[in-house]
Amino acid sequence: MSPVLDIQGLSVAYNRKGLALEDVHMHVPKGGIVALLGANGAGKTTLIRAVTGLLDLHQGHITAGQVRLSGQIVSGLPAHRLVRLGMGQVPEGRLVFKHLSVEENLRVGAAVLPRAQVQDGLDAVYHLFPRLLERRQQAAGWMSGGEQQMLALGRAMIAKPKLLLVDELSLGLAPLIVRDIYKQLLVIGETLGTAMLVVEQNANLALSFAQSAYLLKQGRVVLSGSAAEVAANPLMKSSYLGEAKVAGESTP
Amino acid sequence: MNTTNSQPPATNFSAWGWLIFWAGALAYLPTLLTERALFGMALSNTQLLNLGLTQINLMLISMLGALSLNYLTGCAGLISIGHAAFFATGAMAAAIFDNQLGWPFPLVLLACGLSGALVGTLAGLPSLRVRGLYFVLSTLAVHYVVAYVFLEYQFKFFDVVGIPYAAPRIGDFELNTPVRWYAFLLPLVVLVYLGLKASLQSREGLAMRAMRDHELAATSVGVDVRILRLKAFGLSSAIASVGGALFAYYLSNVTSEAFNISFAIQFIAMIIIGGMGSLPGSLVGAAIWLLLPSIIGGLSPQSNEDGGFIGKMLVENRAQLVQLIFSLLVIVFLIFAPDGVAGLARNLKNRIAAWRQRP
Amino acid sequence: MFEQVFFSGLALGSIYGLVALGFAVIFKATDVFNFAQGMFVVCGAYLAVTAISILQLPFPLAIVFIVGAAALLGVLIHMALIQPLLGRPMLSVIMLTIALSIALRALIEMIFGPQGRSLTTPMPTGVLMLGSVRISYLHLTAALVSWACMAGFGLFFRFTSVGLLMRASADSHEAAVVSGVNVNTMNRLAWAIGSTLAAVGGLFLGQLQIASTELEGIGLLALPAVVIGGMQSIPGAIVGGLLVGIIEQMASTYISPKSSDIVIYVLLLLILMVRPWGLFGQKELGRV
Repeated sequence: MSPVLDIQGLSVAYNRKGLALEDVHMHVPKGGIVALLGANGAGKTTLIRAVTGLLDLHQGHITAGQVRLSGQIVSGLPAHRLVRLGMGQVPEGRLVFKHLSVEENLRVGAAVLPRAQVQDGLDAVYHLFPRLLERRQQAAGWMSGGEQQMLALGRAMIAKPKLLLVDELSLGLAPLIVRDIYKQLLVIGETLGTAMLVVEQNANLALSFAQSAYLLKQGRVVLSGSAAEVAANPLMKSSYLGEAKVAGESTP
Repeated sequence: MNTTNSQPPATNFSAWGWLIFWAGALAYLPTLLTERALFGMALSNTQLLNLGLTQINLMLISMLGALSLNYLTGCAGLISIGHAAFFATGAMAAAIFDNQLGWPFPLVLLACGLSGALVGTLAGLPSLRVRGLYFVLSTLAVHYVVAYVFLEYQFKFFDVVGIPYAAPRIGDFELNTPVRWYAFLLPLVVLVYLGLKASLQSREGLAMRAMRDHELAATSVGVDVRILRLKAFGLSSAIASVGGALFAYYLSNVTSEAFNISFAIQFIAMIIIGGMGSLPGSLVGAAIWLLLPSIIGGLSPQSNEDGGFIGKMLVENRAQLVQLIFSLLVIVFLIFAPDGVAGLARNLKNRIAAWRQRP
Repeated sequence: MFEQVFFSGLALGSIYGLVALGFAVIFKATDVFNFAQGMFVVCGAYLAVTAISILQLPFPLAIVFIVGAAALLGVLIHMALIQPLLGRPMLSVIMLTIALSIALRALIEMIFGPQGRSLTTPMPTGVLMLGSVRISYLHLTAALVSWACMAGFGLFFRFTSVGLLMRASADSHEAAVVSGVNVNTMNRLAWAIGSTLAAVGGLFLGQLQIASTELEGIGLLALPAVVIGGMQSIPGAIVGGLLVGIIEQMASTYISPKSSDIVIYVLLLLILMVRPWGLFGQKELGRV
């Protein structure tokens, strides 16, 4: 069964600087949940931008390799085309339309749907996130971080994408809310069969939800495998899972 | 710009050589243009690019405008589209202090400079309150205010025809021929250029450029950004005012029309083509602005017969053609060469250096 | 007498509001302060001259021609000039629109000659008397059409899905891209609308006065109008236009004809010093 997302030998550079990503191989199987881990600056955001066609916006370009969505080459396509091809994105920082209402935000995401399906899409999102239904006429800019995250997620999934890219969901949110949202992610995966690539700095959290994971360091994949394998790996443990912080030991 | 001992001594010699060549050429220029002959060999109008000493003098005056605007916009990062206002201020000050009060010329110029500095500082005040686009608009508003004041002044003390200016004199030396003007303007422009360059390399100048690049960072190292801004505005306007006064004297009659928005825009065009933030670029930009109409005048068909409708259109509307080409040139530069001629020259130099160093 | 001046001001102000609206749409969508908006007005006037006097099209067809050509002009300008300058410093973009206005002016003067051309349309002329106030039918038509266009745009912007996408793109370029909106298309649409609204203004101003490049000065009053009203606010632009129209007529009548410009620009300066975000704008959190 061909993976939903297939990245082969991808290298990316920003204007006149060195390679931000080097020879990355990665895939997301149909209906799977894959975690993308790594410290700040490891290249996670660059990878997401390369997959979602946003490199241009940030003066980056692909120097080698390809990205395939359900077998079709998509590297180099503009972002709005990718959404129509079934790629949904929940970007870092939420990026909701601050001056538009909750419902208007969702409708923007639903613009790719035929008119008849829009109301169903809205209902599905409100069913998943009742809080959004309560606030549907409010301007998105005034909502809390958690609500905005739900909105961004709702907006991305309303068009029933094949693949959902979630970038730094947990940043700036309380742990309880984050767990809630991740649970909804699982529900979305189960009901819609959407595959997911989840970028997370909180490695513990990501590994508890994902099926498999990749660890990026300085633009290269240094570790990959099932979530359990990666979690057990000493490289992971020492650097990112904070096991060295057990009582008495010093942190690097 | 001088590198250390890796530079062979021959280069220093060639630098001096160039300096002597250019000094000589500039000194010879008036003779060339008035006699229309190069060392005795007669030259046609076209070969001299239809230039006369008058245009060269106007170019020198406009260089003052380009230099002062580039200092403000390119170096201090303050965008102003009201530069014509300071020219007008100078012209008006000259009218007041010379025509009406009869002061001697050098004193008049000083007074013009000071008036310009005052008006410039006032014009810069909005920068304490607003930034970016709003500030640009305030400079536009300043332009209209000054233009109105000038108009009222002209109508009250003089008449519709304009304000007349007698030929200025420094002691016994009267500036009444193009050659004499040239002899006065050229050293002045060189002086202003060197002065601005020195200012940019001073402590305050470096702080100013830091301010342009990142205001917050500049503030954090103790630079009082607001005062610097006002100072930059003051200096730039002072120079522009002197330029305005000289402009008025040179034309011997000006009306408020002379200082309209088009006038201001031309200076911005000069610094964009020449290269923003580059003082030599300002000179190049002013030179191109000077040369363009003459070249076009030389190239366009002399009669209506050839070229049909387009030819006829070009001949009858030469002024508009110049405008069209000039504005298209600015657009082309903005899109393809945003650092102007100075940037292109720098690129070329780097490429030549890289080519020289290849193994 | 006062009512007379007030009503002329209101009528002219409606046209200014239309032009200012076009300007605000362009600004909200692409962050470009379009100094060429005045020339778009002139283009509208000359497109009208072309359609009516030169091509002798029947009036409805002439309207289609004017609107279509203006929209096309807006789209082409965005594609060729604005898009390449994406992300460049503000002075570059400002200067581009200024250079564009100069180029357009030169081109028009070269094609049509530097003197103005009179513009006659089948629109009603003549005067209506309301008590002691004389209102010309042309002023009335201009005001009504302007209001219809502004209202039409408002409905489009608020209630259609394309309008929603435009609002989204203006709200956050990046969020729109991420949500699958073709932001380029939205930007071109904004320029088409901005140019078309200005052209309609030019159609009326050309007939009220004369089709000439001097109309640019009037079109440029859209700039202070937008700032006074509030740059990021669409209703603000309209109110700004009305205010400018009224103030212009008042100053022209009660002070002196030449003073109207200066009064408006002094007001602009005051607003910039005291309340830079305009009457209806919102204070923005400034980023350094």
